[in-house]
Amino acid sequence: MLIHNRRHANLWTLLAPPAIWAVHFLLCYVAAAIACAKGGGPWVDLTSLRWVILGITLPALGLILVAGRQARRHWGFGTDDPPHDQATDEDRQHFLGYATLLLCALSFVSVIFVAMPAITIADCR
Amino acid sequence: MRAVPLAGLLAGCGGVQSALDPAGFEAEQVARLFWAMLVASGVIWVLVLGLAHYASGRREKPWSQRDAGRLIVWGGAVVPTLLLAVLLFFGLRLMPELRAPGGPLRVHVEGEQFWWRVRYHPPGGAPVESANALVLPVGQRVEFSLSTRDVIHSFWVPALGGKMDMIPGRTNRLVLEPTRTGEFRGACAELCGASHALMAFTVRVVEPAEFEAWLAREAAPAAAGTGHAGEAAFLAHGCGACHSVRGTAARGAIGPDLTHLASRPTLGAGILENSAANRAAFIARVDEIKPAARMPAYGTLLDTEIAAIAAWLGMLR
Amino acid sequence: MPPEADAARRRAQEERLERTWETPPGWRYWSAVNNTEVGLWYTATSFLFFLLAGALALLVRAQLAVPDNDLISASLYNQAFTLHGTAMMFLFAVPIFEAVAILLLPTMLAARDLPFPRLSAYGYWCFLIGGVFVMGSILFNSAPDAGWFMYPPLTTDPKLTGIGADIWLLGLSFIEVASIAAAVELIVGVLKCRPPGMRINTMPLYCWYVLIVGGMILFAFPPLIAGDILFELERLAGWPFFDASRGGDPVLWQHLFWIFGHPEVYIVFLPSIALLAMIVPTFAKRPIIGYSWIVLAAVGTGFLSFGLWVHHMFTTGLPAISLGFFSAASEAVAIPTGVQIFVFVATMLAGRMTRSTPMLFAAGALAIFVFGGLTGVMVAIAPFDWQAHDSYFVVAHLHYVLIGGMVLPLFAGAYYYYPLVMARKLSDRIGRWVFWLMFLGFNIAFLPMHFTGLRGMPRRVFTYPGGIGWDWLNLVSTLGAVVFAAGVLLFTWDAVWGIRRRADSPRNPWGAGTLEWLNPIPGPDYGVRSVPAIASRYPLWDDPELPRRVDEGREFLPDAEEGKRETLVTSVLDARPIQCLRVPGNSFMPMAAAVLTGAVFILTTFHLYWTGLAVGVAAILSILVWLWRGTAMVPEKREKDIGHGVRLPLYASGIQSVGWWAMFITMTGDMTAFASLVFSYFYFWTIHPVFPPLDAAGMKMGPGLLWPGVALLAALGAWGAMLWARARNGAGRAGGLRLGLLAATLLALASGGAMLMGPWAGGLDPTTHAYPAAVWVLLGWAALHLAVGVIMTLYALARSLAGKLTRDHDIDIHNVVLYWHFAAITAVVTLATVALFPLLA
Repeated sequence: MLIHNRRHANLWTLLAPPAIWAVHFLLCYVAAAIACAKGGGPWVDLTSLRWVILGITLPALGLILVAGRQARRHWGFGTDDPPHDQATDEDRQHFLGYATLLLCALSFVSVIFVAMPAITIADCR
Repeated sequence: MRAVPLAGLLAGCGGVQSALDPAGFEAEQVARLFWAMLVASGVIWVLVLGLAHYASGRREKPWSQRDAGRLIVWGGAVVPTLLLAVLLFFGLRLMPELRAPGGPLRVHVEGEQFWWRVRYHPPGGAPVESANALVLPVGQRVEFSLSTRDVIHSFWVPALGGKMDMIPGRTNRLVLEPTRTGEFRGACAELCGASHALMAFTVRVVEPAEFEAWLAREAAPAAAGTGHAGEAAFLAHGCGACHSVRGTAARGAIGPDLTHLASRPTLGAGILENSAANRAAFIARVDEIKPAARMPAYGTLLDTEIAAIAAWLGMLR
Repeated sequence: MPPEADAARRRAQEERLERTWETPPGWRYWSAVNNTEVGLWYTATSFLFFLLAGALALLVRAQLAVPDNDLISASLYNQAFTLHGTAMMFLFAVPIFEAVAILLLPTMLAARDLPFPRLSAYGYWCFLIGGVFVMGSILFNSAPDAGWFMYPPLTTDPKLTGIGADIWLLGLSFIEVASIAAAVELIVGVLKCRPPGMRINTMPLYCWYVLIVGGMILFAFPPLIAGDILFELERLAGWPFFDASRGGDPVLWQHLFWIFGHPEVYIVFLPSIALLAMIVPTFAKRPIIGYSWIVLAAVGTGFLSFGLWVHHMFTTGLPAISLGFFSAASEAVAIPTGVQIFVFVATMLAGRMTRSTPMLFAAGALAIFVFGGLTGVMVAIAPFDWQAHDSYFVVAHLHYVLIGGMVLPLFAGAYYYYPLVMARKLSDRIGRWVFWLMFLGFNIAFLPMHFTGLRGMPRRVFTYPGGIGWDWLNLVSTLGAVVFAAGVLLFTWDAVWGIRRRADSPRNPWGAGTLEWLNPIPGPDYGVRSVPAIASRYPLWDDPELPRRVDEGREFLPDAEEGKRETLVTSVLDARPIQCLRVPGNSFMPMAAAVLTGAVFILTTFHLYWTGLAVGVAAILSILVWLWRGTAMVPEKREKDIGHGVRLPLYASGIQSVGWWAMFITMTGDMTAFASLVFSYFYFWTIHPVFPPLDAAGMKMGPGLLWPGVALLAALGAWGAMLWARARNGAGRAGGLRLGLLAATLLALASGGAMLMGPWAGGLDPTTHAYPAAVWVLLGWAALHLAVGVIMTLYALARSLAGKLTRDHDIDIHNVVLYWHFAAITAVVTLATVALFPLLA
C-alpha cells in the first residue's frame, strides 16, 4: 500500500497525504450537496449527514496518521537534521520522508478544518 | 464633541450604502467581525513586515540554522494554524445565525434588466405589488425571496446586510433585520448587462406602525383622479401594455408597477431624482439614460404629451 | 594529448555544437524552435499583452475618476474591464509563467533544450494567434463584454451578448490548449531532463514549483475547456446546459469556471514565488533554509487550491454547510502560503543580506502580498464575503494578491535574470525609481478601494452617482493608477532602450549558486558546453571548479559528432542517465500547424463551419506530417558514448521514453475534462427531482441499453485488439501487429457508431432539455476519442508499413496503446453513466 510498509519513498508517497485530504473534501462536499439538493428546502435536518461526515473524517485522519508513521520511518525518525541536501540515496529518502511528514501535518489540520462545518451547521439553510 | 480622529474615521465609514455604517442585524455582526479582523490583521502585518525589515538589515551574527528553522515552525505554521482555526470557528458559527428564519412579513424581489420587481406578502393579507423602492419595518426580521427570469442579478443593501444572488431557475432566501430607521440605498452587485451600474433602489426603514399604514396605502389603487390629459396620453400610446397603474386601464406586467410612482424617492431604479423634468426626460430619452433597457424611447411624442404624462405620473402618490 | 591538440579538438567540438544549434539567420529565424528563442518571443509577447491590458485598466480608471462621467460608453467600459481581466489572466499571467519557465528551466537543468522543442514553438504560435484575435476584437468594438467569468445566461443569449462571447470562448480555448502543451513540456522537462546526479532532493526549488504548477494546469484548465464546449454548444447549437427554462442551470457554469478559476490564481502565484525562492538565497549568500518546507508549501497549495472554488460563489445561495467546507479549505490554504513567507524571512535571518534591486522588489512584494493575504483570510469567512463579494473590496484584495504575489516578484525576477537572458543588467538607479513609482502608485490606487467597497460600491459599474461617499476615493485611485503605470513604462523603457548603452554583464553577476548562472554571458546558442554531473543544491558555490570543467568540455555530451541536437534523459528520482535524446531542430511545421489550428477556431467563431471543417482536416494532416518527420526517429546506431565511458541508448520506448510520459500527462488532462463532463451529468441529476426526465409519452428518456451495450463490447474489443497488436509486435510479428491495428480500427468505428445510435434511436433531442444534451455530449466525447484513436491506429499502421515501427523501434505502438487505455476508460465510464445509472436513479 502506498502509505504503509513502503521500503522507499517516492513522488507517489509524497502526494498520498494531500490526496487523502482531497478525497475527504470531495466526499464531504458531494454528500452535503446531494443531501441538500435531494432533501428539499432549506430546513432539511442534517443529523445523519453530520454522522456521515464524522464517519469519513475519522478514517481520513487515521489514514493520514498511518502515512505519517511511514513518512517518519523514511525520514529516519529524525536522526538526521534537515537540510537533507546530499546527493545520496539516504538523503533523498530522508528528504522525501520529511516533506511527506510535513504534508501529513498540513493534511491532518486541513481535514479537521473541512470537518468543522459539520459541528456548527445543522440544516440546509 | 467627539475626539477628532474617531469622528474622522466614522465620517470615512458613513453613507447610505455603507457596510461600515450598519443599520441592520447582519450588517452590525459583520462590521464588528471586520473591525476585529482588521485590528488582528494590522498587528500581524506590522509584526511580519517588522521581522522582514530586521531580516533584510545587517547583523553582527546571522541566526543559526536551528533558530531559523524554529521560526518557520512557529511563525509560519503553528501560530497561523491556531489563529485561522479560531477565526474559522467563529465564521462558521455566524453563518446559520445570519440565515435564521425571518418573521411573518415576506417580500419577494425579482431582478429584471435593469430594475427590481417587489411584491410584499404581509401575513394574512393579499400580496402588494411595487417596484424599485423598499419600505421596511424596524426591528423585524423580514424574509426575502429573490429570483429572476432574465439574467443573474444580486440583491445588496450594504447597510442592512450581505448580498444574495438572483439566479434564473432558483429562488434564494435572504433575511434582513433593520435595527434603526432611516434612508438607505441598495444596488445590483452582479454584472447584468450594459446598465448594471444603473440598477439601484432605495430602502426606507420606518416604525412598524408607519409601515402598516404605508403598506395599506401601497395596496390601494392609484390616487390620481381619472380624466387627466396625462393619463389619456399614457394609455393612448400603449404605456399600459407594459406598466400597471392600478385603478386605471393600464394592466401591463412587463415593466415596473407605477401605481404609486410619485411616492418613490427616485426614478429609473434609483438613478434619478423623482422630478417632473426627470420623468419627462426618462420617457423621451430612456435609451441614453439607461443603455439597453427594454423600454423604448418615446422621443417622437409631442413635448406637451410627454409633459402631461410626467405631470400625471407625479400625481400617483 | 598535447595542449595545442587538446585546444584544437575543443574548438572543433565547439564549432560542431555551434553549427548544430545555430539560430537560423534571416527570415528563417522564425522557424527556430530552441527554448532560448521561443522563450524570448513568449516572454516579450506576454509582456506586450500586459502593457495593453494595463492600458485598458487606465481607461477604466479614467472613466471612474469622477462620478457620472461620460468619457466612454457603458458598452466600451464593459469591453475594457472584461478584456483587462481576460488578458491579464490568459494572455499575461499564465503565459509569462510558461515563457519564463521555457526560458530558464533548461539553464537550471544544464539541458540543451526541453524534450519537445517543436511543441513549445507550436504552443507559442497558438498563443500569439489566439491572443491577437482576442485582444484585437476591441478595435472592432466587438470584444467580450460580460466579465472575464462570462456568467450565463447574460453570455449565452445571443440577443444580449454578441460575437464577443464566441471570441472569448473559442479564442481562449485555443490558448488553453497551448497552456496544456506547455505544462506537458515542463513536467517532462523537470522529471526527465535533469543533469546526471541532480536528485529530487537537490533540484532547484524553481523546478519544484514548475512541476507542481504544471500538474495544477492539467487539473485546472480541462474543466474550463469542458465548460467552453458546453457553452459553445449552447450558443451555437442551442443545447440548453445553462438555460434554466429547459432543465439547465447557470450555476453549473460557475462551478466549472471556478474549478478552473481558483487554482488559476495559484497557478500564476506559485511560479512568481518560485523566482523569489531563487533570488533570496543568492542575496542572503546561503542555501535556503526550509527546502522541504517549500516543497510542503508548493504541494500543499497545489492540492488545497482545488478546494476553494465555491468561495467565488458564496452569494449564490448554496447551503451554508457547503459554503463551510470551502471556507475551511480557503483558511487552510493560508497555512502553506504563510510557510513560504517565513522560509524566506528565516533564510534572510540566517544569511548576510546585501541590498539589491531584485531584493527591493521582493520586499515590496512581501509588504503588498501579506496585506492581500490577510484580506484573503477575511473574505474566506463567508458572512464577511457576503458584504465584500463583488464590491471594490474584492477588487482591492485581488490586486493586492496578484500584484504583490505575482507582478512584483516577476519584476524582481526580471531584474535578477535580465543579465542571463539579455546579457546586460538593468539600471539599479532607474530600478529604484521604477520600484517606488510602482509601489506607491499601487498603494495609492488600491488601498482606498477597500473602503470604497465597504462603503457599498459594487464592481463592474461604468459609472456611479456622486455624494454617496465614493467620489474622492475613486479620484485618488485613478491618480495612483497613473503613477503605477509611469513605473511600468519607465521599466519598459530601460528594458528595451536603456540597456543598449550598457556593457555586457560579467559571468554569474550576482554570485549565485545555481546552474542557470553556469554559462558565460552572453551564452552560446547551444547552452552548456558540456553537461555536468551535479552533487549539491548550489553547485556553483560548492564546486568552484565546475565552470572550468564544463567550459573545457570535460563533462558529459561535449560534442555533436553527428550534427544532431542532443540532450540527456535521466531517471525521475535520482537522475541516473538513461538515454541520449535526439530532439528535433528548427522547422516551420509548428507555425503552420498553429496557423491551421487557429483558423479552425476563428472560422468557427464566424460560423463558417464547412470551411472550418476543411481547415480542421488540414490541421490534423499538418500535425501528422510534423509527427511523421520529427518524432520516434530511428537512429543510425543503437548507442552513443556521452563521455567518461558512459554509453547511452539513442532510442527508448514505453515508460522509458519522454513521448510516453507526454502522452500519459496529456491524457491525465484529458481525463479531467472528461470528469468535468461526467460531473455535469450528475449535477443535472441532483437538481432534477425526476431523472432522467419524462418524455411526451410519460416514459423516462434515455439511450436505451441495446446500442450502448453494443458500443461497450466493440470498444473493449478494439482495446483488446490494440493490446494484442502490441504483443505481436513485441514478438516480432509485423503481420499480427497490422492485423490487430486493422481490427481495432473497425471495432472502434463500430463502437463510435453504436454510441451515437443510442440517443438517435432513443429520439433524444439535445435542444429540448439539458438531460438529452448531456447524454449527447458525453457520448459525442467518447465517440470523438474513438475517432482520434482510429487516426492514431492508422498512423501506427502506416509507420509499420513504412518500416518506422518495428520490434526494436516501437515508440509509436506503446504510445498509441497508452492512448487506448484512456479511450477505453472513457468509453466504459460514459456508457455506464448514460445507460446504467438511470436504472439506479
